[in-house]
Amino acid sequence: MATFAKLSFNKDELNKELSGFFKGILENGAVDAVLAPMAQGKKGVRLSLVTSAANTGAVDPFAPVAAVSGAKIASSLTARPSGRKVAMVLRPCEIRATVELVKLKQVNLDDVLMIGMDCLGRYENTDFTKFQEQGGTSESFLDNAQAGKTATGDFDVAGACKICEFPAADNIDLRLCAIGSGSGAVHIEAVTEKGKAALEKSGVKIGDAPAGRDEAVKKLVAVRTEARDKKFAEFRAETDNFQALGEKLSACINCYNCRVACPVCYCKECVFVTDTFRHTGDQFMMWADKGGLLKMPNDTMFYHLTRITHMSLFCVGCGQCTSACPNDIDLMPLFRTSADKTQAKFSYQAGRSVEEEQPMAGFEADELFEVTGQAK
Amino acid sequence: MAEKKPTGTVLVAGAGISGIKAAIELAEVGYKVLLTDASTQIGGILAKLDYQFPTDHCGMCRMLPMVGREYSSQYCMRKSLFHENIEIMPFAEIQAVHGDAGNYKVDLLKRARYVDPSLCNELEECIAVCPVEVADEFNHGLTKRRAIYQAIPHNTPKMLAIDMQACTSCGECVKVCTSGAINLEAQDEMETREVHSIILASGVKLYNTREFEDAKSYAVSPDVVSSLAFERMMSSSGSYRDGEIKRPSDGKPAKNIAWIQCMGSRNRRQKRDYCSSICCMFALKEAVLAKEKGGPGVESTIFYMDMRTFGKGFQQYRDDAVEKHGVNLIRCRVQGVMKKPDGALEIRYFDPETNEFFIKEYDLVVLSTGQIPYETHKKWADLLNVGLDSRGLLATEEYSKIRLAGKPGLFICGSLMGLTDVSEAMSSGIAAAGEATKFLCGIGADTVKEEEIPEPTANERELSQVSVALCKCGEKPGAEGIDYALLSAELQKYHSVGEVQIVESFCKDNGETAAVDILSQTKCNRLLIGACQPFMYRQNLKNVARKAGFNSSLVEVFDLFGIARQGMTQPSIKEWTMRAAHEVRADIEKLNFKPALHVSALPINQNALVVGGGFGGMQSALSLAIRGVPVHLVEKDGQLGGYLGNNVEATVDGLAPMAKAQDMQLKVYQNKNITVHLNCEVESTVGTLGSFESKLVYKDSGETSYLHHGAVIMATGGHEGATTEYGLGTSDLVMTQGQLKKGLASGDIDVSGTENIVMIQCVGSRQKEGRRYCSRICCMWAIANALKIKEKNPDARVFILYRDVMTYGFYEQYYSKARTAGIIFMNYSLDNKPQMEMVEGKPVVKFMDTVLNEEIELTADLLVLSTGVDPEESNNKLASAFKVGLNDDGFLAEADSKWRPIEFQQVGLYLAGTAHSPMPLKSVIMQAEAAAQKAYAYLSGREVHTAGVVSKVKDAHCIRCQRCVNICPYGARSYDDMENCISVDPAACQACGMCAVECQNNAAEVAGWTDKQLFAVIDAKLMDDLLLSPVE
Repeated sequence: MATFAKLSFNKDELNKELSGFFKGILENGAVDAVLAPMAQGKKGVRLSLVTSAANTGAVDPFAPVAAVSGAKIASSLTARPSGRKVAMVLRPCEIRATVELVKLKQVNLDDVLMIGMDCLGRYENTDFTKFQEQGGTSESFLDNAQAGKTATGDFDVAGACKICEFPAADNIDLRLCAIGSGSGAVHIEAVTEKGKAALEKSGVKIGDAPAGRDEAVKKLVAVRTEARDKKFAEFRAETDNFQALGEKLSACINCYNCRVACPVCYCKECVFVTDTFRHTGDQFMMWADKGGLLKMPNDTMFYHLTRITHMSLFCVGCGQCTSACPNDIDLMPLFRTSADKTQAKFSYQAGRSVEEEQPMAGFEADELFEVTGQAK
Repeated sequence: MAEKKPTGTVLVAGAGISGIKAAIELAEVGYKVLLTDASTQIGGILAKLDYQFPTDHCGMCRMLPMVGREYSSQYCMRKSLFHENIEIMPFAEIQAVHGDAGNYKVDLLKRARYVDPSLCNELEECIAVCPVEVADEFNHGLTKRRAIYQAIPHNTPKMLAIDMQACTSCGECVKVCTSGAINLEAQDEMETREVHSIILASGVKLYNTREFEDAKSYAVSPDVVSSLAFERMMSSSGSYRDGEIKRPSDGKPAKNIAWIQCMGSRNRRQKRDYCSSICCMFALKEAVLAKEKGGPGVESTIFYMDMRTFGKGFQQYRDDAVEKHGVNLIRCRVQGVMKKPDGALEIRYFDPETNEFFIKEYDLVVLSTGQIPYETHKKWADLLNVGLDSRGLLATEEYSKIRLAGKPGLFICGSLMGLTDVSEAMSSGIAAAGEATKFLCGIGADTVKEEEIPEPTANERELSQVSVALCKCGEKPGAEGIDYALLSAELQKYHSVGEVQIVESFCKDNGETAAVDILSQTKCNRLLIGACQPFMYRQNLKNVARKAGFNSSLVEVFDLFGIARQGMTQPSIKEWTMRAAHEVRADIEKLNFKPALHVSALPINQNALVVGGGFGGMQSALSLAIRGVPVHLVEKDGQLGGYLGNNVEATVDGLAPMAKAQDMQLKVYQNKNITVHLNCEVESTVGTLGSFESKLVYKDSGETSYLHHGAVIMATGGHEGATTEYGLGTSDLVMTQGQLKKGLASGDIDVSGTENIVMIQCVGSRQKEGRRYCSRICCMWAIANALKIKEKNPDARVFILYRDVMTYGFYEQYYSKARTAGIIFMNYSLDNKPQMEMVEGKPVVKFMDTVLNEEIELTADLLVLSTGVDPEESNNKLASAFKVGLNDDGFLAEADSKWRPIEFQQVGLYLAGTAHSPMPLKSVIMQAEAAAQKAYAYLSGREVHTAGVVSKVKDAHCIRCQRCVNICPYGARSYDDMENCISVDPAACQACGMCAVECQNNAAEVAGWTDKQLFAVIDAKLMDDLLLSPVE
């Protein structure tokens, strides 16, 4: 049976209540550090690493922004582990990407207390600045978003969030619940024994489960799934031939920002910046001869298709690729529609479980017995 | 000055797989081999088999060397074999052998084939015009061929020959042959060769039902075929078409197929009191394949006497055949086949399971025909002037299956030992090579000393410029059809081509010098050679290039004529030439972007580690030590000898293991090259071929030491299994076969007054729980004990309750002997196991008798259990120390159950004896010899050259996700925790490219097959249509 703590807060005191919890787990030694979204002065919220209880005041986990994917930060912190225990407060998409990176040996969760927050969506970075300028806070966002009102003025949450069927996090120790918690309250749910121990150590009062939560989550998932299917259908219709796909990608300038932003694109140095793609003048001339003309920079379609073959099995649909594009190419649906098919082929779902083996990652002797002579 | 030592030369007579294997292993050590075969080509029986169990695939190429692949041309083995040290002489027969050990003179009759393969242009126009049609023996008469023909459809080169028996000498073929390759007047030739040693690998004659008295009862229709003919019916180069097995008589699909086992074998009336060993598995495989390849509705039924699934994995295959594939097994010796008026084949049989008679009709009947060895053995005995043993077979030394008694330097392998499966053919071929190597070492013969051609350096910073050298193949008029001037002009248009040279001939002696002269003038730094049959000449051509100053890794060879002819029917010279120009572009681009490959020599530590001090370990150690290899022999117990050497006085075939073990121990301790480590185990190991470091732990003292060695042989053996069934341990009257054996030998068990002795076979074996495998030796043990009892007390009644009597091969005679001696064999099945209860202190055994169909109760004075053979538990530790696999039963898992039975996937690691699977003593010794030879091939040199084309790690790009480690089929990649990097063992890597596919970032790449090269190749191919357009 899961253990819950209810954090009720007065207006504008959500983050104060939450910081009490983080202060508690640091002070009482449940963890040595906390990685959580924190306010940066008056503008912006970024993931920050805190090792002292005194510095937890600026936490703002529910802020509707994710400037970079936390999975990349989790990799930085743990790929070569520090040996110190760290609590990570991440969004569901970040956690699902983290799960993939664990399997790729880019994240090590041994010393991590994973805290997942309910996600009602995030604004693009520039939109979040506007949101803050208009006086928006995490509290106002939670209230409005639960009522289905995420659009503010001329902007709305990211396209990826509108079709995301994972508002609640899994593969975690603790969950920060906002959905169905009612106005003026959030809940902290201990999912694992490790989480429970930390929750007890934090000093917050153990209480009841939020009554309407399950129903509310279900409803939200249903709405988003419907939106997803609609988006998929639209996008597939728009890109049902090579030329249409080319047009979608025509603004690409090979800056590779999408690859930098992608949490599961885990290579240190991308093959597209290696010698393999440093062509000779002779080759460019040959391609121009062949095609009549050659668009420069070249290899743009090749680059995106390569990324699809490399990453679509691990794609968690976070939408950071779209957010990163300086030329407003909406890459997210391209990845999500292909991931939808490739993952289904292997009955695989990126981010579902650490135990689930990534497709085609292991050598199956009986699958290739003409190579090995080993039959099972 | 010391006299120059002669190069060791071995004649291998017979180019079936065991002969080929022996030849390869000798050639790899550096001896010269003359490989002859009586037929027109090489490959033996296996050339006919498209499928082998357990993979139901071909896999002949897996017998090729794994290290230094580029030095021994790796090629499809069903097509041909190429090795610098092997001279292949097909269609040659040994007429006489003179001389003695170490100095044999062999008279060879080289039969005329009437077509010179070195002149033949392989266009087969001669075949098209030949008016004579005869049955094709390769396909057992299922298809027709001409008088001029290619004996094996997949051979390369095609090796055409004329069947003079059929030829009418009409001369049509001579007229159409533009290359003058046909000479109808050719004569057989005699040639005498001097060799140091001879390995006989001729195989034996196979039983042909139509030639014997069985013909009337069985060979009643063309639809009754031999098991080998059925293989051709399953092959697309035979009569297999449209996904169906065609009945020979009318071509209709065969759906209901029966196999009849033991044709010509296990027949005392016909004086063939032996089993042919391989037919049970052969039939099971064919029955499974028929179900898989014969289209819907195929029923496979096998009529058998005992299903002899004695080898590793055999029982599992049988279980799968029945349970997964639905093959019917019926225990009944069928007495004949009747042809019905409508062509159907009727078989009448008694099914002991239902106790009923049946009359059933089949579309096709396959006869599992075995060996008839006596004729072949007699022929060899006469030729070599050696004796035959009492059975009429070539006599080998007492503990050896390989060494001919009284004839040093003469060895046998393969099916001459009695029909062998692929695995045993491989082991015996390697072991024979090992014996020959020991012999050559003993007489002081030397290995081939390679001509050292210094490797020119490659400057990778230079702009790449390709020189294309086209071989005109001076004397081979087959080259007509290419306009060299036009081709040269076309190729020069490519940007990366620096020059095009036309060379008269690369392969002829003077041509080579001329080629070197021309090519040394070059300003280019890469060389592309266009010649014929590059797989044959690749190494030679690279040497030419090296002499001319080209780094050999920047030299590629392509098949000029093959490339030109692809998909072209009746082309004009211009079309043909232009096609060649376009096709070559991809090769040019691949070479243009190729990085220079650097081959580093792996230093080899000459020490060998042998784990296990039983027969396998002692034999391996001695075999290596007498060749001068320092050996460390590690035994976990306090004495050498293993289970057999310390417990078994005599075996059924008259061997005395305990005495033999004493004798071998003495030799081990006397040999200064062997260090024995008793009470010692290997705890961990690091390293790869040539440089392992193992941590040894001594159990008594707890001390540890580190041993550096170049290779390891694991021969951990096994011991008699335990059971709690049938009251073992609760009564003195219930015992194991091992306990009985000991008691009878020591006299502790007195059977003089004993009335009833009941033996139960397969206790805890060949079932889903417990030992799933057959332990192979228990039937022989039971028979040995039963005969011993009968000898001591002829009145004793001995009952052996068995499931299948596994007296395979020539062990069959002991089964016959036991039955003659009045020992009673009664069959039981797994679902009706014998039951036992103790009544008044005596075991009473109850079981169903399948003949009487009644339950029988026997009160036993002694109940003896065959509890099988268990592997050593220490295998677990050993397997994890060396990172090798264990199978589900706890035996070590070899690299490939058929083709690489002695090796592990990782090179430098070998296994022998019961560590592999339970086996009789002689087989243990044979495997031990084979393992020693495998290790010796590396340990005999100071260094080993690995292949240049191996997988590499670009560390700067590597993210250490280790997916490449998990996907490598050869265990060549590992993650180095200390250095935090991925490392590749270049000896183990086979350049399959799985890692390169898996790595998303090009951090794993196969040298010589980089993405950059392949993209360029793809581009070049896609350019085709562009470049074709100006051709009119």
